[in-house]
Amino acid sequence: MAVSTIYSTQALNSTHFLTSSPSSSSKQVFFYRRQTNRRFNTIITCAAQQTVVIGLAADSGCGKSTFMRRLTSVFGGAAEPPKGGNPDSNTLISDMTTVICLDDYHSLDRTGRKEKGVTALDPRANDFDLMYEQVKALKSGIAVEKPIYNHVTGLLDAPELIQPPKILVIEGLHPMFDERVRDLLDFSIYLDISNEVKFAWKIQRDMAERGHSLESIKASIEARKPDFDAFIDPQKQYADAVIEVLPTQLIPDDNEGKVLRVRLIMKEGVKYFSPVYLFDEGSTISWIPCGRKLTCSYPGIKFNYQPDSYFDNEVSVVEMDGQFDRLDELIYVESHLSNLSTKFYGEVTQQMLKHADFPGSNNGTGLFQTIVGLKIRDLYEQLIANKANAPTEASKA
Amino acid sequence: MMSTTASHGRVMILPSPSRALQNQQPLIGSDMFRLKQTEPRGSRLVVAATAKYKGTKMREEKLSEMIVEKVKEATEVCEADVRSEECKVAWDEVEEVSQARADLRIKLRLLNQDPLESFCQENPETDECRIYED
Repeated sequence: MAVSTIYSTQALNSTHFLTSSPSSSSKQVFFYRRQTNRRFNTIITCAAQQTVVIGLAADSGCGKSTFMRRLTSVFGGAAEPPKGGNPDSNTLISDMTTVICLDDYHSLDRTGRKEKGVTALDPRANDFDLMYEQVKALKSGIAVEKPIYNHVTGLLDAPELIQPPKILVIEGLHPMFDERVRDLLDFSIYLDISNEVKFAWKIQRDMAERGHSLESIKASIEARKPDFDAFIDPQKQYADAVIEVLPTQLIPDDNEGKVLRVRLIMKEGVKYFSPVYLFDEGSTISWIPCGRKLTCSYPGIKFNYQPDSYFDNEVSVVEMDGQFDRLDELIYVESHLSNLSTKFYGEVTQQMLKHADFPGSNNGTGLFQTIVGLKIRDLYEQLIANKANAPTEASKA
Repeated sequence: MMSTTASHGRVMILPSPSRALQNQQPLIGSDMFRLKQTEPRGSRLVVAATAKYKGTKMREEKLSEMIVEKVKEATEVCEADVRSEECKVAWDEVEEVSQARADLRIKLRLLNQDPLESFCQENPETDECRIYED
């Protein structure tokens, strides 16, 4: 008679997985099979890995280094490119997470796209079959040889071996474009930058380059817009969380894009995801924390919270307009938000401080990226706990 | 607590990191955050954000040159028809290269990682891995 037992369920349910010791052992489920009619016990082990897959959609391919770093930092450890591999690899690996850039699934390299007359935004430039196969494989605990798209040369380089991680993040232009890939995602995020902010950010990014001018930056955004609107933008209706970045409403006619209004749009009814709220869940709140207890400098901070509808989905929206200028403002705000999925008081502030030099550290972009990171951690823990408790079937010889 | 791998041996004391970066980076957090972040016991050191290896320096220059070339190309191609496929693709290339340039800058500046670090540890004798001297 074959008996199978789940071993080390405790380890899976442990809450100490956040320690950032690089030698922390990976959590695995072992299945033992004992055959009592034999002279000895045969122990057969196999490791079943629970890989959680997160999708992040954003323009400019995999330039979301800072968002990724915030996200992976919540899990502990710094995310780094694979050691000893192609220096132009787009992949990031940390203790718990592996971040894959979806540009690696380009079916056409730069020359190929030029010949066919398609931009990188066009689905025709991407191999969704391969994307689906490999994400599916990684999710099932199987390593894959993933191609590398080299952004410097514009060529497809030799593949790199990717081991299945605990958390797989796929980031790029099309994580939610293909329905099969979408179904593999445990959680998805769309970073929605408004046109004005996009323009301001690209100016800040490119103006120092001698090749660029205001005109070239503007022309580039406009030329890409039709493809962006047709292929990338529609994905936001599928996202579980949308981070919308808009110009501030606190300063009239501000066009520098430095003070931002950021909205965190969270879908209701997503498994293992409880939206953040302010004061009273499901109500509508408008909150200016600056006053008698807290003094803020110009232009201050304004929060909004409300239930809403987004592409026929019920959502909750938390919105922050303005900037943090001091540590105590951040802590004050954190103490008034609910359902943050923090493990201790001040965790959001601590995470923000860890990356104080990153862009967005003083406004809603950093705040909501950090909160989304904590939500993903919470989702991961719940998913793992759930799978460990589910009854398992013995595989018979 | 922050794990910065200082991948370059050169350390400069910059008077005000935010101003030095202002032209090339979105405005970074307030002074309060920065002081909390970079002040170990004693003096305030900031590692200079330049390429450590010759190969990385060459990559930086190449990308900047490519931006010049591709902007020129796109401007010419689009003169004929701004709505043509060729025009779209040309500006898309500009975007791709601009982002690649910015990514390299972020790696060096914010993260103090030279992308050739691990390659050069294994192959210190290659030309790419010569330490870049200003």
